[in-house]
Amino acid sequence: MIIFLDVVNTIVKSKTNLKTINVKKSILALFIVAFVLVSCKQNNKKDETMNSETMNSENTTQDINNSKFSIEEIVSNYLSIKNALTKDDSNSAAEAGKTFVETLSKLDMKNLSDDKMKSYMDIADDAKENAEHIGDNSGKIDHQREHFVLLSKDVNDLITTFGTQQKLYQDYCPMADDNKGAIWISETKDIKNPYLGAKMPTCGTVKKEL
Amino acid sequence: MKKGIKKVLYVGLIIFLLMQLYQPARNQSYEQVNTANFTKVYQVPKNIETILRTSCYDCHSNNTNYPWYSYLQPTRFFMESHINKGKNNLNFDEYGNYSSRKQLTKLDRIVKQIKSSEMPLSSYTLIHRNAILTSTQKEEVINWVNSVKVNE
Repeated sequence: MIIFLDVVNTIVKSKTNLKTINVKKSILALFIVAFVLVSCKQNNKKDETMNSETMNSENTTQDINNSKFSIEEIVSNYLSIKNALTKDDSNSAAEAGKTFVETLSKLDMKNLSDDKMKSYMDIADDAKENAEHIGDNSGKIDHQREHFVLLSKDVNDLITTFGTQQKLYQDYCPMADDNKGAIWISETKDIKNPYLGAKMPTCGTVKKEL
Repeated sequence: MKKGIKKVLYVGLIIFLLMQLYQPARNQSYEQVNTANFTKVYQVPKNIETILRTSCYDCHSNNTNYPWYSYLQPTRFFMESHINKGKNNLNFDEYGNYSSRKQLTKLDRIVKQIKSSEMPLSSYTLIHRNAILTSTQKEEVINWVNSVKVNE
């Protein structure tokens, strides 16, 4: 019995020894990991400062190139929403809606006159909200189309106020928006209806060339 | 086994009590005169205003009528996120601050949301039975909003 207890004791002891060794090892490991992490972070910081420096210089060159305010990118984002809706593709419409919002928030309007700035802000504020709803409602294409009615008006007004290089057409469908009729902007002369999609793809007429 | 259940219950109770400590600011404003309110922008008939107040204002204004259970978490948490989202989309108390373009958009949205019965939210009317819009009430609001849109 005594021998047995002795054996147990030694086993326990050796275990505790093992444990202390393990603890020591793990503490050491922790230190090493912490050290590595800290040094990595510092490296990152250096990289970051370097990156931001190069970025800054890039930005200044960009500023010179982009000194003219342009709505081309907004229009092209709008057209991708439109094209997704003509194909009844709710998910792509949502994706394009999100890109539209991003483009709006990036747009540099430093060089706009106060007058133009005000009308831009008015339209952009509304357009942003409509595009957000289109972006948030993938799967609910009817909801997206309701907002597309309003977004089309906004983009139409942006184009008439600021102009684009691209040749565009203002189309009109009398059956859209619960038969109240609605416009949309298209880059092609052929009618492809974004409000009715596959149901009535050719409903509508070209009203104006922009 | 019984001990295990007891322990779980205790932990649950403690978490529930701790949760009560989180009480975010309430959606209540004490301004007496609100110049940006919807009724300052349009001539809103009394019956329409009452409908808006009972069915929309809890989430679409700066004043919420809080029920008693709103003092309990986690109800409160969900409620507050709902109210913030609602106010973000449309706030009748800030209506006058919207650009005229945005105001027209909002009118359009109000009509469509009511017509399609998306608003008031079914999760809201489940408890607020008086907020349910009858078909005549819906028609009243829609007709009135449409008449405003023509005048604008």
